[in-house]
Amino acid sequence: MNTKPIGIAALLFALPFYAQADAVSELEAQYRAKGAGPFSAAAGEALWNKGFIDAKSGKERKCTLCHTTDLTRPGKHVRTGKVIEPMAPSVNPKRFTTVKKIKKWFVRNCKWTLGRECTAQEKGDVLAFLKNL
Amino acid sequence: MPIRTEETGARGEVRLRVWNLPLRLFHWGLAASFVTAWLTLDDRYRDIHVFAGYVMAGLLLFRLLWGVIGGPYARFRDFAFGWREARDYLKLVLQRCPPRFLGHNPAGSWAIYLLLGLGLLIAITGLLTLGGEERHGPLAGWLSFAQGEMAHNLHELLAWSMLGLVAVHIAGVVVESLLHRENLVAAMLTGRKPSKPGMVSARAGRPTGILMSVAIAAFGLSWFHGYLVETPERPYRPFSGIELPDQALWREECGACHLAFHPSLLPARSWRTMMAGQSSHFGEDLFLERDSADEIERFLLENAAEQALTEAAWKINRSIAATETPLRITETPYWVDKHKEIPGRVWEDPRVNGKVNCASCHLDADAGTFEDAAMRIPVDTGGALKGLWEAMTSRFRLDSSHAGIFNPKG
Repeated sequence: MNTKPIGIAALLFALPFYAQADAVSELEAQYRAKGAGPFSAAAGEALWNKGFIDAKSGKERKCTLCHTTDLTRPGKHVRTGKVIEPMAPSVNPKRFTTVKKIKKWFVRNCKWTLGRECTAQEKGDVLAFLKNL
Repeated sequence: MPIRTEETGARGEVRLRVWNLPLRLFHWGLAASFVTAWLTLDDRYRDIHVFAGYVMAGLLLFRLLWGVIGGPYARFRDFAFGWREARDYLKLVLQRCPPRFLGHNPAGSWAIYLLLGLGLLIAITGLLTLGGEERHGPLAGWLSFAQGEMAHNLHELLAWSMLGLVAVHIAGVVVESLLHRENLVAAMLTGRKPSKPGMVSARAGRPTGILMSVAIAAFGLSWFHGYLVETPERPYRPFSGIELPDQALWREECGACHLAFHPSLLPARSWRTMMAGQSSHFGEDLFLERDSADEIERFLLENAAEQALTEAAWKINRSIAATETPLRITETPYWVDKHKEIPGRVWEDPRVNGKVNCASCHLDADAGTFEDAAMRIPVDTGGALKGLWEAMTSRFRLDSSHAGIFNPKG
């Protein structure tokens, strides 16, 4: 019996997961190089649910405002109502596959939510929390 | 020479057929399409308005043919009265003793000729507007947006003229009905009028009438069948615009947080300013890398409103003062004017969720075409009559930035 095609198909199917592991581990290595680590999923989850008061509007901002607390389901942009694909890689394998994208969204969303860029430790913790969902 | 179908003395006992079935269908079909066209002035009902226009044009062309082969009373030569005869008839009306005519009287004939002529001009200018402004119909793309708008202005002026003439026509029917103590409206429904024996009767024309009815029904079914097969996920879009230029990077980056607003909705200077200020994009730092930002900006500038890719693009760009650089589409005067009738509670409704969500009402927002009929407001805006009144009077209101013959400043 020729199992080669099945093997290739399995490989292709698993590819996004390898890509994810690659992108996340590459970033973790960068964070460690800056002195961060070890990374804790529990700390990441706490940060994910923490509220921050926006200096300008006085309103509370947090990750869950747009992404909601059930990360296996789509979220909704709090200002525009635009649907946001689920964060959990288990239902959305495209998540955390590109270093460039992860970096961009960390800058964009940390600045909006926390009012500042996240530290290497914070980013590593949040990735540790999200990557295994 | 018109056949003199006038009767001077008393009427006899016979009830003659004067208006045959095709003529009656033409009359009420024309009336219905004219009323429908007025009721569907609002952009949302553009497909119904255009349908009414095609029906009207078809009926008018049929009437021209029927004016030659339609038999007595319908033939043009049977009511080819001169202007003097019409004037003399009106003088007798003023003296309350006009002669009775079985067919069209001399004054009524003039109303009919003018209505036919105006109707045909309205159909022609309507087609020119459809082809120029909307880029649809047989003349799609034959005219520039500016030429289309000229045709649109003319179309409206003619429609108002016809509305006035219809009022005169109805007044004439009422006056003649009263003076001769006969119900002319009923005569146009049944086709029959009391007459003395010996006058010529029209043939029923039933096969032609049935053919007309079937043709209109078939046209209606083919025009509107999309509504019968639509699903909530795939609502029917009566008009599909041209496919606009697209870019995967733009769609991914801009479409991540909000609708990917098509470049054609703002002028180049707005996009340039927006991309230069990407670190404070409505309160967010976009943090786009230089190469990505450049690629997106190139796409935005190449397809900006100045390129007039759509009617909306052309009108948005024209509405903005050269000194202004709006960063929100909702700040452009054209957008403001087009949405001024929308009550506040519509924007507040969760199904609409503010002015940023074009797609809550515009079915083709994602494509960027913003076709007139591709619009469904998910909230009941109440009073269809109120909406009609607003649509009819928008030209005459001083606050309107709607450019046109009545308000050339806009």
